[in-house]
This record gives sequence, structure tokens and C-alpha cells, in this order.
Amino acid sequence: MEVLRLQNLQKSFGSVRALKNASLTLREGEVVALLGDNGAGKSTLIKAISGVFPIDRGDIYVRGEKVSIRSTRDAMDLGIETIHQDTSLAPDLSIARNLFLGREPVNFGWLGVFAPLDLAKLRKAASELLKRVGISKKLDADALVSTLSGGERQSIAISRAMQFAAKVIILDEPTNNLGVEETHGVLRFVKEVRDAGHSVLLITHNIHHVFQVADRIVVMRRGEIVAEQTVADTDLLTVESIITGADMSALLKEARAR
Amino acid sequence: MVHSVMTIAAEDDAPRVKGRSSLLRSPQFSSFIILVVLLAVFAVADANFLSPLNISNMMAFLPELGIIALGMTLLLTAGEFDLSVGAVFGLAPVLVMLLVQNGGWDIGVALLAGLLLCIAIGAINGLIVTKIGISSFLVTLSMLLVVRGAALYITQGFPLKSWDQPGFFVTLLAGSFNVGSFRFYTSLWWFIGLSLFAIYILRYAKLGNWISAIGSNRNAAVARGVPADAVKIWLFIATSVLAGLAGMISAFRISAASPVAGTGYELEVIAMVVVGGTALTGGRGTILGTIVGALMLRAIRNGIVLIGVPGLAYNIFVGLIILAMLILHALLQKNAARS
Repeated sequence: MEVLRLQNLQKSFGSVRALKNASLTLREGEVVALLGDNGAGKSTLIKAISGVFPIDRGDIYVRGEKVSIRSTRDAMDLGIETIHQDTSLAPDLSIARNLFLGREPVNFGWLGVFAPLDLAKLRKAASELLKRVGISKKLDADALVSTLSGGERQSIAISRAMQFAAKVIILDEPTNNLGVEETHGVLRFVKEVRDAGHSVLLITHNIHHVFQVADRIVVMRRGEIVAEQTVADTDLLTVESIITGADMSALLKEARAR
Repeated sequence: MVHSVMTIAAEDDAPRVKGRSSLLRSPQFSSFIILVVLLAVFAVADANFLSPLNISNMMAFLPELGIIALGMTLLLTAGEFDLSVGAVFGLAPVLVMLLVQNGGWDIGVALLAGLLLCIAIGAINGLIVTKIGISSFLVTLSMLLVVRGAALYITQGFPLKSWDQPGFFVTLLAGSFNVGSFRFYTSLWWFIGLSLFAIYILRYAKLGNWISAIGSNRNAAVARGVPADAVKIWLFIATSVLAGLAGMISAFRISAASPVAGTGYELEVIAMVVVGGTALTGGRGTILGTIVGALMLRAIRNGIVLIGVPGLAYNIFVGLIILAMLILHALLQKNAARS
């Protein structure tokens, strides 16, 4: 089933056309990898979906319904959760407080921002969540995020997105700055997220990771989507050549012939 | 499956720091220990230090800087600071007294005008910092000059006689009462009340979660839908209003409003806050620490006079003690990170 559909999205910054007619469909329970060189328009695209800035033209559909996303709040309310490289968590806050940041359970809600946090509920929900995603043994819900490793932080951020029953989870370079073991941990976690029925849009530089977890590959170049293939139907070299725009397989053949 | 992965990811099996041990390691606790040591040293060095008269004196001064420090703590926790507080401390009472004495305004209405002035100054600070994106250091430094200049200009540099007729407002802001041989001012109640409110906000309210998150990682907070700019603007306003309130309290207490009152208070207040353990870089704030810091700086200023340090050498000691405190916090922080 189709979860998210982007149709002819356009976005310009001054005279720079960062997005030209980008269209993309994301189905339930699949991992789509978004690839492209620096400046290809990947981050513009995900920022548009996650409500960082409005698009100039084009339509966004969530579960077949046309929506307008004007703020990060709008995106979250529609079930679109974005996890940015290093910017997803506040290191000086506890895991529990991070998990519910912006959606804190409170008592006396009519007090607005002055309402007291429901600390018992906060802690309980956080522990349950950590247990459910299988990382409770090591992590205390009250521990500060600054005491966690990079992989643990990514897992916390992804769990948070799952917690709020996100339909679409956008992962922006989730394996950046991670060690080998941690990278595998996060990638396996991504598969589990998919198996739990969430759709994942994965932005990464690392093509090898893509072949480990993605179902489909979408390649962007100069603000446009230039290729869309299922992983089974393609290979690393082909994808690489699409990204750079050079026909690498032809070059390789030539080199071999010589 | 994920569990096994995480086992590899997390190397040690040691339980994470929590509960009582984290309180003992917290910066406000180490500050508290040093405060106790300082008080003990001063008490031993000079018997008058703990005399009712001296304690009453310290408690009269404490709220005036302490109240500003509460606002500054919240602002610093959100990652900004305000250098214009000392100037606002001077301008607010000067404006109020001018309106009363030269304009014939009612004191209540004049106080309201003073409040609006503080709100406006805070809002301008906040709007420029958040919407135009200039660092709060530069914005509030400029504001310091503007506000102090305004106070000097409208008074032509002369101090004004403050409101000295007893009445509701004087009692409310600068009334005094005796407890045994101690003499306390109502400003102490203001400080206690506002401290409790600030503790509640920062530790228990939704707003406090937002403030810490903004200072810790603004982008993360914004990505979660936290209105970071609005929160910062309101904190600038709150800090400015608290500075004006402290200025009024001081002016009523000494029955004079001077255009140069509060000069240098901005740095003294920031010193109180960081000595208490709040991080200058944002994200980690402690009101209890700030109260300890305010008490400490007050005690140091008072104590070194009593033990006979020459007047002109005060600041050497104050500066050295602040530096020592900050080094201690930095070492504790490093230590905590390593464990």
C-alpha cells in the first residue's frame, strides 16, 4: 500500500533550483534508499517532506490524501519522522526526556507550557519502549544521552520515531561517524523497523549499506530523480554510474578491452 | 537480535550513573560544599561574620542580584545570555521616579510603565537574537550601552530621590520585618518565591524540558516541534523584567534611584550562575546551583571586607575564587565524562 507520494515537487533558493519536478512513491513496509552526490537535492527533498521549509510547487500525498506540510509539527502529526545525522537528540537530557521531547506527557494540561511533566509516566513509557526495541538491558531511561555511544544514540532516535507510530521514518545519513559494529547494529535495526510495518526513506553516501537493507533505490542528480530501481534488478556499479552521471560500466569494459 | 548488537555496541556492563551518586557528582553539590567551607573560614576568621547584623546585611543585598541570576540561569540554559541586565536595573527605577516626580504620575501607573519598558527591552533583545540571528553577546552589549546611556541622559547624570512614602508598593517590594535580632526585607520573600518557581520550571515543567533541549541541541528541539525562538524571546523578556524588579527593590530600599546603579552587575550575575554549575554553553542549568552561587559571591564580597582585605584588592580575590570554582567544575566534568 502506498504511504507517501510526492508529485512534481519544486523548490528554488534564489536562482538555484534545488528541486525540479521530483516525484517519489513510498509503500508500506519498504526501505527506499535515496542516493545522490553532494548537492543533488537529497537534503532539500527530505527537508521539504519533514516541514523544515515549504515547497514552491507540487503535491504531497499521505495514504492517498493530499496534505500540506508547513512545519516540522505538521510532518510529525502526519506520521513523518525525520532523524538527522547528529542533530536528533539533546545530549544534556535523559533518554526518557529525549524520547518525549515536544510531546511530553503532562498533568494539568491546561497550564500549557507551565504544566508539570508526568515524570512517572515518562519514565515508565521510556523503559517500556527501550525494552520493546531490545536495548533496555544496557540503557537506563534516566541516563543522559551524552553518555551514549553514536550507535546507541541512533537507535534511540529511531526508536523514538517508532514509538510515535510513524508511517514514514526518514533517516538522514544514520551511519555517519559510526564504527563498523555500530553501523551493522543500526542497519539491522532499520530492517526490524521495516518488518514492523514502517516505511523507511534512507539517505546515505554509502552504497554498500544500501544493498544490505534497501528494497528500492532512487537516485537524484541536480534536483531531479534520474533513476528508480529495485535492488534485485541492479548492481553496485550501475548505481554508482547513475549517481556520478558517468557510464562506469562502459569505462570498465573499455579498460578491460585494453 | 538488536539486543545482541547493542551488547557489542555498549562495551561495559557497569550500570549507568544515577540517583544519589549523580547528585554527589553534580556541579551544584560541589559548589555547595565550597560555600560551606567558605562560610566556615569567614566565620572562624571574624566572629562578626555570623552576627545578626551582618547576616541581615547579606540577606538584604542577596535578593537583588539573586533575582536577576534566576532569569539569567534560564536564559543561559537555553544557550543565550544578557549583558544588559545591569543597565535595566539602573534605568527602570530612574524612569519610574522621573514619571512620578516630574510627570506627576501615580506610583502604580509609573511602575506599570517601568514594567512595560523592561518587557520592551527584553523583547527587542530576543527578537534581534532569534529573528536576525546576531549573537546575544553583541546584541545585549549594544543594549547595555543604549539603556545605560538613556538612564544617564534622562537624569542628566544625577541620582533621584526615590519614593520614600510608606505605602503598598514600598511594603511589597522593600518592606522589612524583624525576626529576633535579624532584620529581613520582603525582597527575600520575592527571591525565595521566584527561586521555587524557577526550580519548578526548569526541573518539572514542560517548559523546562524545552529550555534545556534548546540549549543542548537547538536543531533537535526545533525538529521535535519545540518553538525555540518564542521560548528564547520570552526568556529574554523574563530576564529583563526580573532585572527591572530587582532595580525597583534596590531603589526603594535605599530611597534613591541612581542612573549608574547596577553597573557591572551583568558580569557579577553571570559569575553567580556559572559558579553554581550552569554551563555557559547551554543545556545544563541548575537553579539550586545559582542560589548557592549567589550566596557564595555575596559571602565572599562581605567576608573579605570583614577579614581585612584592602578595599582595592577585593576584585582580585573575587576573580581568583570564581576562576578556582570554574576550574573545579571543568575537572569534575572531565572526570564524569571519563567514567
